[in-house]
Amino acid sequence: MTFDTVVLIIVTILALFGLSRAFIGPTIWDRLLGFSLFSSKVIVAAILIGQVINRTYMIDVAIIYGVLGFVGTILIARFIERRGDV
Amino acid sequence: MGQVLEWLGNIIIIIGLVFMLLGVIGIFRFKDYYARVLVSAKVDTVGFITVLIGLMLKQGFNFFSAKVLIAVVFFVITNPIGTHAVTRSAFLSGYRIKKER
Repeated sequence: MTFDTVVLIIVTILALFGLSRAFIGPTIWDRLLGFSLFSSKVIVAAILIGQVINRTYMIDVAIIYGVLGFVGTILIARFIERRGDV
Repeated sequence: MGQVLEWLGNIIIIIGLVFMLLGVIGIFRFKDYYARVLVSAKVDTVGFITVLIGLMLKQGFNFFSAKVLIAVVFFVITNPIGTHAVTRSAFLSGYRIKKER
């Protein structure tokens, strides 16, 4: 077990703790915050998988996941802000 | 030289993991939404940048670290914008801090 694998396991555990804030959050903005935290940890984990298996296409996966998470967060926030009218 | 850069990258990755751990602790420790969003907007971005810079130091100057640099630049632009949009939505919807008594 190399150093990168240990870092990958730690980042995955932190991502699960960040996702639990999305489940237990009292308000809806706490849930969005937990989703944002989980999304950033998933990007780091994808790049670390690319480092472990020594391929570069996992970084494309990370960038596309980042784009989709960003667009989703912005649209849900605007949807709540305008009360159902995007 | 390569060995020195690898050890330096490992140390920087450990520092970034400490930042990420502080962010995850802070999101459970604080009692208010506006205190939690402070943690998620700043400490999480710092941890992301630090871990990926350590990874770029370990990898050296090649195609992999150039793509990692693109991912870092993209994330530094988008994460504060997303957090700002969520907080603006919370403020305009009428969420305020309750008074301590």
